[in-house]
Amino acid sequence: MAAIVAFILFGIGILALVLRRDLVIKLLALGMINAASILFFISIGDRQGARSPIQLPGDTAILVDPLPQALVLSAIVVNFAILALALVFVMILCERYHSTDSTRIEQEIAREIDVEETPCL
Amino acid sequence: MKRMHVRTLLAVGIVAAFAGLVALSYVQTAPDPADSQYYLARPLSETGASNRVAGIYLNYRLIDTLLEVLVFSVAVLGVRYYLRKSDNIDLPDLSESEVVQTAVSFLSPLALLLCMFFAIFGHISPGGGFAAGVIAASALLYVAIAYGMTATEARWDPRRLAFAEKAILLSLLIFILVPAFVGKSPLTDLLPKGTPGDLLSSGSILIYNMLIAAKVFIGAWLVIAAFALHRGEL
Repeated sequence: MAAIVAFILFGIGILALVLRRDLVIKLLALGMINAASILFFISIGDRQGARSPIQLPGDTAILVDPLPQALVLSAIVVNFAILALALVFVMILCERYHSTDSTRIEQEIAREIDVEETPCL
Repeated sequence: MKRMHVRTLLAVGIVAAFAGLVALSYVQTAPDPADSQYYLARPLSETGASNRVAGIYLNYRLIDTLLEVLVFSVAVLGVRYYLRKSDNIDLPDLSESEVVQTAVSFLSPLALLLCMFFAIFGHISPGGGFAAGVIAASALLYVAIAYGMTATEARWDPRRLAFAEKAILLSLLIFILVPAFVGKSPLTDLLPKGTPGDLLSSGSILIYNMLIAAKVFIGAWLVIAAFALHRGEL
């Protein structure tokens, strides 16, 4: 069940990432994709009636698989790093072109290149 | 309009391809329940940590965690580099009302206490260095919101903390490498493992957790401060 929710969230994230033109929305979609993959990993480790993986000596209860949880930690940290850096670049772009619309920024850059190249011709 | 259709098709194609790929791999090699018991089947005394997740990421996969900390440091470095202040603008004093200040002066010590609990008991209960550091940084964020960035920055100077962050990173690296030089098995075998469930168990994991908590706390605060100071105020 959780895996299906994760797939749906992942799909929404990819769609927003490709279709929306606002860079901030794109970053939010990236965060959503990350959350979906975390949910998927955690759901893989789950078992029927299992407890969290805290074990004392002599404890024989069924535990969830700790490996996906340990791996997810990397995903969270890397996601934080990517989002923080990408947000900085969006801020720089926004300060320079006064827009967070990716298409408009592309047009502005194309115009800048044209202006730079005109004197050479 | 036509370009929009192409983009939609592209996106739907990517999603469908990904879903098909995962479904195919899931059908062909469905996870074996025995595989998921691989780490749980190993004796608890091997790492000494009752928190099996901490045992994995701070013992079996310590290098992975070390590189994670490095990735975090690089991100902090990048954010600080690209958002460095070009000129010293006079920040307006934007502290919040007394209600917010009172609430924060009650809440942030609790959050700092929770940070210490997570860092110190991370190997025997839920928690760990990364979560602890983020909690402490958010406690400081509350303070910055309530009392204004200028006052908070004066007390928690980002320049001095950036030096402390690098010092903690270096000490973490040295502490991980020391066992290799004194003839113990590399990376993890410096301190005795102890009885699982005790506070002083699981060897070096306690120290790793505390160092990582300090590192993540300072790093996250540096990121927050860089964003806030670039913008002017919170």
